[in-house]
Amino acid sequence: MKYHRYEYSTEKDLYFFEFESIGIKGKIKKIVQYSEMSVKGFYNLGFGDYNEITKEIDDEIITNNGDGLKVLATVVSTLYSFTGKYPEANIFATGNNEARTRLYRMGITNYLEELKQDFLVYGLRKDEIFEEFIVGEDYMGFLVTRKNKDIKI
Amino acid sequence: MSIEDLNKAKIPIVKIDKKLEKFKGKILFPKKLAMANELLSKAKLPKEIVQN
Repeated sequence: MKYHRYEYSTEKDLYFFEFESIGIKGKIKKIVQYSEMSVKGFYNLGFGDYNEITKEIDDEIITNNGDGLKVLATVVSTLYSFTGKYPEANIFATGNNEARTRLYRMGITNYLEELKQDFLVYGLRKDEIFEEFIVGEDYMGFLVTRKNKDIKI
Repeated sequence: MSIEDLNKAKIPIVKIDKKLEKFKGKILFPKKLAMANELLSKAKLPKEIVQN
């Protein structure tokens, strides 16, 4: 990937990923989870901060650790790992609110050219129809799926 | 492998951490998952995905 990212770890099924954001507020542990959705073959991408002391996870917090691009690059990178193991998976992501969804949109926009080499990338319009992701459009959610399903890592 | 090599690799090198097994079977982001399910249930899927 052309953007720097953090090294991360996972468990054997690759549903959970963990990495450390290192920035102006210090080290903040991040967790990414791919959860099965009610539609077969679809997984929701969730990520947030993990407080090891309270054991609480917060996906609404605005961390402002000064490394947002690197964090997003790391989350995008987990897509390659997860779909390397589950190439048929369709990954859906949305924010908890419009501001967070816009942040995701910016993140996808940053990596779009690279993502499009390996994935089909869609945006969910307000009229509830998916379309191929268009830069600058407002979306309620995002869907990615591998173009080449033969890959296996 | 250096961080530079890691960053260049498209399929990342993944380190397995058994501590993450503690999350197995748990939904860490229930609100987001519910919202995502709600959105997807109403959405018209792309034809490329429906065909799969």
